[in-house]
Amino acid sequence: MASAVYFCDDKGKPLLSRRYKDDVPLSAIDKFSTLLTDLEDESAVIPPCINHNGIEYLFIQHNDLYVVALATSLTVNIAEVFAFLHKLMGVLGEYLKTVEEESIRDNFVIIYELMDEMMDYGIPQITEPRMLKKYITQKSFKLEKAHKKKRNAARPPSELNNSVSWRAEGIKYKKNEAFLDIVESINMLITQKGQVLRSEIIGAVKIKSRLSGMPDLKLGINDRGIFTKYLEGNNIGVNIPDPQEHGSGVAESSITNDGKKRKTNIELEDLKFHQCVRLSKFENEKIITFIPPDGEFDLMNYRLTTSIKPLIWCDVSIQVHSKSRIEIRCRAKAQIKKKSVAANVQILIPVPDDADTPSFKYSHGSIKYVPEQSAILWKIKSFPGGKEYAMFAEMGLPSMDSYEEPKVKRPVQVKFEIPYFTTSGIQVRYLKINEPKLQYKSYPWVRYITQSGDDYTIRVN
Amino acid sequence: MSDQRIFARYKASEIRTDLQTIDVKKIKSSVTKRKHALRKIIANLTLGNYVEMVVLFPDILKFWQIEDDLEVKRICHEYVRTIGALKPRFVIDAMPSIRNDLRSNNEQLQIMALETLVGIPFFKFTDEAFNFIMTMINKRSSSPALMKSAVYSLLQLDEWDHERVMTLLGVLHGIFEDHVGLPTVQVAALKTLYTLHDKTKNLKPLHISVDTALDLLGLIPQLNEWDVSNLLECLVTVVVPQTHDDSYDMIDIVLPQLQHVNTSVALKSLEFIVYLLNYVDEISETVVDRLSNSILTLLEKPPELQFLILRNIILLLLTREKPVVKLEVSYFFVEYNDPIYIKDTKLECLYLLANSNTLPQILDELEQYSTDIDIQMSRKAVRAIGNLAVKLGAEAAETCVDVLMNLLEFGVDYVVQEIISVFRNILRRYPDRFQSDVRAIVEYIDCAQVAESKNAMIWIICNYSHLLPNYIELFEVFCSNIKSETLDVQFSILNSAIKFFVRDPSPRLENMCLRLFNFLTEDVNNPDLRSRAFLYWRLLSISKERVDILTPEVLKEIVDGELPVIELNTKLDQNVLEELELNIGTVTSVYLKPTGQIFHTAKTKHLKDSPVLNSEKGHLKIIKQDENEGPKYETTLENKGVIRQKLQRNSTMNDYDRPAEKVNELKGKRKSSTNNASKLARKPSLLMRKFSLKKKF
Repeated sequence: MASAVYFCDDKGKPLLSRRYKDDVPLSAIDKFSTLLTDLEDESAVIPPCINHNGIEYLFIQHNDLYVVALATSLTVNIAEVFAFLHKLMGVLGEYLKTVEEESIRDNFVIIYELMDEMMDYGIPQITEPRMLKKYITQKSFKLEKAHKKKRNAARPPSELNNSVSWRAEGIKYKKNEAFLDIVESINMLITQKGQVLRSEIIGAVKIKSRLSGMPDLKLGINDRGIFTKYLEGNNIGVNIPDPQEHGSGVAESSITNDGKKRKTNIELEDLKFHQCVRLSKFENEKIITFIPPDGEFDLMNYRLTTSIKPLIWCDVSIQVHSKSRIEIRCRAKAQIKKKSVAANVQILIPVPDDADTPSFKYSHGSIKYVPEQSAILWKIKSFPGGKEYAMFAEMGLPSMDSYEEPKVKRPVQVKFEIPYFTTSGIQVRYLKINEPKLQYKSYPWVRYITQSGDDYTIRVN
Repeated sequence: MSDQRIFARYKASEIRTDLQTIDVKKIKSSVTKRKHALRKIIANLTLGNYVEMVVLFPDILKFWQIEDDLEVKRICHEYVRTIGALKPRFVIDAMPSIRNDLRSNNEQLQIMALETLVGIPFFKFTDEAFNFIMTMINKRSSSPALMKSAVYSLLQLDEWDHERVMTLLGVLHGIFEDHVGLPTVQVAALKTLYTLHDKTKNLKPLHISVDTALDLLGLIPQLNEWDVSNLLECLVTVVVPQTHDDSYDMIDIVLPQLQHVNTSVALKSLEFIVYLLNYVDEISETVVDRLSNSILTLLEKPPELQFLILRNIILLLLTREKPVVKLEVSYFFVEYNDPIYIKDTKLECLYLLANSNTLPQILDELEQYSTDIDIQMSRKAVRAIGNLAVKLGAEAAETCVDVLMNLLEFGVDYVVQEIISVFRNILRRYPDRFQSDVRAIVEYIDCAQVAESKNAMIWIICNYSHLLPNYIELFEVFCSNIKSETLDVQFSILNSAIKFFVRDPSPRLENMCLRLFNFLTEDVNNPDLRSRAFLYWRLLSISKERVDILTPEVLKEIVDGELPVIELNTKLDQNVLEELELNIGTVTSVYLKPTGQIFHTAKTKHLKDSPVLNSEKGHLKIIKQDENEGPKYETTLENKGVIRQKLQRNSTMNDYDRPAEKVNELKGKRKSSTNNASKLARKPSLLMRKFSLKKKF
């Protein structure tokens, strides 16, 4: 349980605060900025959790803000505190364009209101943005009117405390639609020789629901398919021929059959669900059923660690001719199905800080030198599967070498998007929408995309 | 008036003029103007401009009575709360207005009023709050939100009037044991009770029966995510299973919650299950898998949460001989973009996860980190390699030392220094094994610049002098610089010099010792160092003059005795481990120190006795499932041959109002069903349509 939540600027000075319990002194937060600077002096490692004078400072960073929760006991559920603070940032993001020092100051009234509603006596309450938006708006309500017109009442709808606390009653749309996005981010670390050191798929099923009433949704995915297929394939030593249009066609070939597939890699348990999913139902019957919140949300997340062939592979060789120039050769290959196309491919190749006078030769895309990042950036708008493009860059190095060649290694970073394709082979089989009272016609839409994660890198020696 | 100007210091008089503008013709604009003025007050309170704002209290009261706008009300309450916290008596005039709001039929306003009453430390307000709460509780039909707020407000009231809150404990018990109550209020009551018991020293820890606990767990589908996490948090050590079946029942109910996306819920479920594992004798491997998977998936979160999970993984790895989680090392490989505190914690995890199987993989990674751009990181990586060598036994040490020797050639100062330091530890663990590498290390003598690496270098030269023909020259370099060294390096120079002399009492070494003695006893200010020098000096003179008292053998034994082999001790005290395990997901789990060490007064959690409590954590058996069966989710815990009726006692468990209807099984076998799916997917006319990519991702 948090005793107070503070918004602080990038120095740690408080901007706004809401105190939930009266067990921390008012002056406690003033220590925060000195604590930060003290710790910075000591070491580069500042954990998000500082103890001083019996008070715990638990904080997260968001843009130029520190959001700090104070607590007095060591048995405080810090998981709850951090989860709440991130949720708070998410909710504020729905109200303000960007959550930063300036917008916090400008909107302090509504922030006070939100902080009031989202937490009581240090215990998180309503945190679904859609529900909050129902009765906390930039507009104010007249109590009298509210009394007459019940629908617009400026009070928490009674469902808040019912079993479906994330959805209000009486939502109406003319056209009932549900959009499903399956987004898979690939994180990968590859050596210069092309050996994959680690690779993982981080997936999310995002839903944007525009449905009336209290719809009950059932989502069918080919879970058994992806989650057992590779195992079976390996057990009998045969690759199951892949009949599918997209998705696992490449997934099949990209997941290497080294025979020793651990089943823990690909299991249903790796899924994490939004609170609307009936977990016990899923546990017993393996069916994903839920009443969705209105608007956009992440229905489910998953993370699979499997060995994948690099989707975009770059063979980079860097030759440094000391004190004169550096030569960079890069061959990029889209190792995806011929029919697929990787879009917005960006390859960021590090060069020494003091390199200059770049000259480039390349077959496709565009290349520019980005001195701020000490790198050259190769952009390819559209990169069809199976194709191979090459580039060559030469840059001058200063002839005066003041110190020894720095032995720092920054990896090559790659970014890309591949629409209509999931690496894991996950497929939506059906999304059934049933609203028992209204019985309307509804339209589910699905799209797939695979993209690079935060960490798709190739080491350079 | 722009919002920006709201957030600035104002004088009371300026705001007052704004408040009093009443233009009969332009009612609307004067209303917004007044509201702006009120907002300014709150902004000024935020800025700490209390002295000026106190003056405006009468104006606030006036507005309170005439305005019925919710925002105005909110500002009034905020004002009273802030000023009231500083000057409780001053705001007593606001009482009628607060009371008025309390009786209004707007739930939100009532909650606001209650919070204001509770927040002011003055008995008149407190009395009013208690009265209201009592009527709330007696009048069962009140709204859940209000009830919940009333129950939680007791936590704050406890600060003002502890005695009176204590009299209400029974009432709270009544609320959560109430079978037809409101789920969210029941959890609130339990949480409040739990916190009060935890806070009050002379109160016995809360205890509830297994049946009540099962009832409460049955409410999970009706609770919001935060309530679920609070419920699970409260149940640890509060409910004590009396039979193995009790534990299995509860584990069964909680297992699905491991897949919740909310870190707090997932982590608290994990904690609860780990707690229950103390009350069973065996557990299926699937449970272990699920715990492990759950915690690994949580790693994909914002850095602060990731950090927390990593710390808890360390906790789980430390607390049990045979950890209840199986983790793949590759999850803990450091990413280029990780914040430094995460890199740090990941290294620790890697270190704990290392065994003879995973060592090659981990060493490869550590070697990469050692040449990392970040100095701190690379030093830590080298340190970790050294520690692994000490931890994992001679064979593993061979590989580790090979890696270290490779890194030596990398030649960067701080890496070499770190290698020198860890190499000493390795030699102390395996004194005879790596003699061939000693010379290679000593070649880097000039790199040793930091106290620790100097110390290590001196130690290595001293203890392996028989391998180094030119050891005296090497050592003299240190001796000649003794003036500028730090204290601990001076100590080791002194110690080593004496050792050399005792081994080989040559005139050259005698001279060197004498020079040292002279310097240390005359020019050094530190009393410890001076006395140490005197002590050695006398020792040596006695051994020279009175061989009958101090024979050379005895002298050697004293100054150059055999050193014990070092070992890494990662074992913690059983009680500490137990407490840590019961604190998964709390601040304690970040520090990994028992609560008592930080707050001496804090209550510590202990496992409570029960007929089925395991005396040793190691007794828990993990049963492998028949491999042919494949992943079979339904048989989670039923491999004892006894098929228990799942959730027998919880037949009333309800899953929302309407159960989701059964989904029709797809025809055909599983393997072919994937084919079916693809057919489905290709026909846009069926349920699924591809959405044309209109907007960019």
